[in-house]
Amino acid sequence: MKRALLIAGGTLGGLGAVMAITPPQLGSNQALDLGSATTASTPAATIAKSAPTATQPTASATTNTTTTSKPAATKKAAPTQSAAKVTATASASASATTTTATSAPAAAPAAKGVTGVFVGPTVDVSYGNVQVQITVKDGQITDAKALQTPSGRSQRYTDRAIPVLRQQTLAAQSDAIQGASGASYTSYGWFKSLQGALAKAGL
Amino acid sequence: MNQLRSQFPVWGTIVDIDVASEKIHSVELNAALENVRDFCQKVDEDFSTYIESSWITRLRQNKVEINECPTQVQEVWQLCLEAKHLSDDAFDPWSVQGGFDPSGLVKGWAADICADMLVAAGAEHVQVNAAGDLALRGGWFDQSVGAIKPWKIGVVNPDNKQEVLKIFEITDGAIATSGTYERGAHITDPYTGMIAIGAKSATVVGPLGWLCDALATGLMVAGEDAAQWFGQAELAGYQVWVIDRHQSSAWSI
Repeated sequence: MKRALLIAGGTLGGLGAVMAITPPQLGSNQALDLGSATTASTPAATIAKSAPTATQPTASATTNTTTTSKPAATKKAAPTQSAAKVTATASASASATTTTATSAPAAAPAAKGVTGVFVGPTVDVSYGNVQVQITVKDGQITDAKALQTPSGRSQRYTDRAIPVLRQQTLAAQSDAIQGASGASYTSYGWFKSLQGALAKAGL
Repeated sequence: MNQLRSQFPVWGTIVDIDVASEKIHSVELNAALENVRDFCQKVDEDFSTYIESSWITRLRQNKVEINECPTQVQEVWQLCLEAKHLSDDAFDPWSVQGGFDPSGLVKGWAADICADMLVAAGAEHVQVNAAGDLALRGGWFDQSVGAIKPWKIGVVNPDNKQEVLKIFEITDGAIATSGTYERGAHITDPYTGMIAIGAKSATVVGPLGWLCDALATGLMVAGEDAAQWFGQAELAGYQVWVIDRHQSSAWSI
């Protein structure tokens, strides 16, 4: 009975949490240079206490999958950690715990076989700083965490458990539906302008 | 069971309504739909940023203050404040170029009111689809088997509107999807003033249409950072499904 309550508490956001760091600024994807960086970090969902990041290809599109769609570990700038750690790493003391702590990003993409701990540069996301550290073993990211997280504006969330993000692959659904939800797209000129702006920004 | 389907143009798009009732007949259903259409026209007149004389346009041009505006406009202003707070300022209608623009919340808000009007008139099963913002009531009556089921609402692929990527079953509630190709003022990131890049498409499902709409809009800015909002008690009943900007994958809460 107690166990069931614990699990229920977990799904409400108590156990295990994911700190997803996606700097909203356009310039930040260059800064987080862990090989082929992307702007959107895609953390795998983790429920275990020690929150390792599993990266494996997945064939299914179920919502409960906890794996990412691409096997390339290099694409992940995904910090994951439990809620308890979030409050602790908001200070600079975290850097003392990493033996290979540097402020320089990894010089080469984490190719197959690479093992080590890589720390990204500190990124200013205008409401705080973000700094990511990943642990790589044989080209797979086995752990990722935030050494610095934005504070101030987001401070009120540090003592609240963050709901788990679940990753899934996209796949077409074939069930009949009675209605569709999608963004409406009626202004072609605006869309072209947006495309141009994104291209200028290198996205 | 009496069923009616109605589609009419408003807000620069088409509103599609599916309504069914065991209790009231087509005459009453049509009358109720007429009232809904009138309401939607009024919303356009009051809120459209494309209409020179709308209250929102005049607010943006500083020709009026919010306390001079009708109750409906003030209500939307308050809901915008609430959504701004709950989204950690990612949804910020006051930071939009040109002044206060509640477009990221109004459709969801209005769709909810339309659905509630139809229920108040006696309809039991309602779907109001305002160009991707839906309000659902009472489930769907499946004529082929004579049974009531949850409404099955599909989220479409932003790159191919014919393809459904995710289906939500909703008996009562709202669903809203925001994308990078919304009409009107593009979604800008209030933190940086630049085009929002948090996601390719963001869908929110929950009890209140205005909040689903605002959160979906805010998710386009905040991306995965938005996960933090959903630890708040006020958002406990909300689900999120987001198509990642660069990878062909989605994440959900």
